Amino acid sequence: MSTGENNALPKVALVGHPNVGKTTLFNQLTGERRKVGNYAGVTVEKVSATIFTPHGHQMELVDLPGCYSLTPESPDERVTRDVLLGDFAEEARPDLIINVVDAASLERHLPLTLQLIELGLPVLVALNQVDRAEAAGLRLNPQILSDELGVPVVACQATSGKGVVQLKQALRFPLPPAAERRWKGSAALEHAITDLAKKLEALGMERPEVHALQLLGETDYRVKLQPKLPREAQIAAREAAAACIKENLVPEDEIIKLRTQTIRRAITAATHTMGDEGETLSDRIDRAALHPIGGWFLFAAIMFAIFWSIFRFAEIPMGWVEAGVGYAKDWVGGLLPEGDLNSLLTDGIIEGVGAVLIFLPQILLLFLLIGLLEGSGYMSRATFLMDKVMAQVGLSGKSFLPLLSGYACAIPAVMATRTINSNKQRLLTILVLPWQSCTARLPVYAILIPLLIPSVLGQTTMMFFIYFLGTGTALGVAWLLSKRIGVGEAAPHFLLELPPYRLPDFSYVFRHVLDRGLAFLKKAGSLILGIVILLWALGTYPKAPSGEEQDQFNYSAMGRIGHFIEPVVKPLGWDARLGTATLASFAAREVFVSQVAVSFAVEENEDDEEAFRAQIRTAMTESKKPDGSPAYPPLTVFSVLIFYIYALQCLPTTAVVQRETKSWKWALAQLAGMSLFAYLAALIVYQGGSLLGF
Amino acid sequence: MAFTTELERDSALNLSQAAVGCEFQIRQLDGPSCKQLREIGFCEEMRVRKVSNGRNLICAVCGTRLALSHKLAEQVFVTAV
Repeated sequence: MSTGENNALPKVALVGHPNVGKTTLFNQLTGERRKVGNYAGVTVEKVSATIFTPHGHQMELVDLPGCYSLTPESPDERVTRDVLLGDFAEEARPDLIINVVDAASLERHLPLTLQLIELGLPVLVALNQVDRAEAAGLRLNPQILSDELGVPVVACQATSGKGVVQLKQALRFPLPPAAERRWKGSAALEHAITDLAKKLEALGMERPEVHALQLLGETDYRVKLQPKLPREAQIAAREAAAACIKENLVPEDEIIKLRTQTIRRAITAATHTMGDEGETLSDRIDRAALHPIGGWFLFAAIMFAIFWSIFRFAEIPMGWVEAGVGYAKDWVGGLLPEGDLNSLLTDGIIEGVGAVLIFLPQILLLFLLIGLLEGSGYMSRATFLMDKVMAQVGLSGKSFLPLLSGYACAIPAVMATRTINSNKQRLLTILVLPWQSCTARLPVYAILIPLLIPSVLGQTTMMFFIYFLGTGTALGVAWLLSKRIGVGEAAPHFLLELPPYRLPDFSYVFRHVLDRGLAFLKKAGSLILGIVILLWALGTYPKAPSGEEQDQFNYSAMGRIGHFIEPVVKPLGWDARLGTATLASFAAREVFVSQVAVSFAVEENEDDEEAFRAQIRTAMTESKKPDGSPAYPPLTVFSVLIFYIYALQCLPTTAVVQRETKSWKWALAQLAGMSLFAYLAALIVYQGGSLLGF
Repeated sequence: MAFTTELERDSALNLSQAAVGCEFQIRQLDGPSCKQLREIGFCEEMRVRKVSNGRNLICAVCGTRLALSHKLAEQVFVTAV
């Protein structure tokens, strides 16, 4: 057996269409012992695990990103192609491919199988969903299919574990020999392939015949810039293709035709249809879910249920986190004598970590619900419905999921834009996404809204207004920007698979939620922790000579910065305290509450969060300007509220936007643009309101 | 199967014009998005049933439901079976 690298384990790669059940099969084969990482240089997740064959041999199993062909467009799919061709320097070429295909939809899946066979690697076909195929009246003979394709074929049903043992048995050593191409082209085509392979070999390329076939079979691969391919190889391929075309032979068309004929022959020999499939359960559900009117009602009901559960159920674990943070503060505070170290640990570190942890339940719950919607097949229907709405503002139906996730947290939402296949629509979605009111804004709203409206009904209406304003602005700006970025001409056409409805793979969903939760804690927690320590230091030093807490704010570095920026925030109706609280919350919005509390010297009350907020509100209401007028009239509070609806005050989001767009220009332009937008909106509200006499 | 004249192509039925509920055979893919269509499952000679119309239409190919825009459907030429 060849193992790609010295001392490395033999590597087996799972390859197949998206939604074909690759991950379920991966979990079945590995018992869910998996390692999640990233492919070097790209933000594509790499999932792998070590498995033992029934004969005790160790192997590395890699779950490659789903792809429809080896000629892909998205970064995820490109990784699959480059790894399989052995062009990914950091990742060894696999020693065996397990190609997962849907038994009920062979015609759609076998084109990829033939492409994999043409790679010159051993291939094992896992014929998944045999139960569904049989239910649809299709009789399959795996042995005949295996003879036709020239590779081993194992029938299985990943969801129930059927056939998984046989699949493991098939992984025994020695591995099957490298598969051979199943079709033979015309003399001219075969000559072109051999000739190009010789040229590629002379260029020092590995696997020249495999590369020659890929280059002749796919226009984009030889014309568009390919980071993993030498330019000389593309030039040679273009010359070879041009020579073929001169002889009235379009190589890619010829290859597709030959593959189609091979597939047709294999399917005719190996399958037998027992009658018409008729209307399936999915069809019956779709009749309601995609109904022009009823479909929207169902959609609205599901969305309402998601939001209701996020706010209702997450409260419980949020209370535990809050109590835990309070307990940790008391415990650590009690261990150490009063002083700077005590203050750093309790007010700085524990408070800072707590500010992040408190949002974890809502984020986990949203990921869980989104995971269940995706796993059940409904998310594709929502995408289908929303495409109509999104297209009006230059976005795609696929922008819907990220925008929905944005209500919980912009960070995972920005990452969820990876499924949008138009770069321009993806950029547009990322740019407007932070206007979706995320959960980190809630503590700020909880302080400010009761200052404006005392009644509960009024406060609820105000919350709706806030969400509506954020989303409305996001869609409006998307519409304006789409004209500027030129999305209209470049937008790819809508094309989406609507998978059959099924029970979600719960273990996969839970694992995904856990991974996301840990990633959130690691990324957001570390940054916010650092910033909170910095803010603590700015607010603590230099120390006021009087030692009084009320004087400390004005004397500290933070207070001095506040007075320095006061001229900038004065036109918004704000004073130095609001200015510093807002400035501090540019790192993370939730810092606003603790910063206002510190500047008014309000003691935090861990046992009763609402009493603590009420104290802050009283301090703000009673605060007077030197002329005796209220320091925070309703118009000022409203101007702060508008600023928080619109400003991008979250450094982790900016960092993630930079990573996903691979551009500091877009990340910083978004930060600057949204900050300016927020400032101008707050300015218009305050100055306009003042002119109108509010 | 391929169109031999422009007239033949212009007069052929495409999936966008095809009637809902009927079954067709794909005769040819012709247009800038052929590759995208082939990848997701629209290949020559395959059978396709149009499930619904609308801004994006839904088709059944090989037991799988696929949603596609009218612009794409215009590139799939079909014959009734």
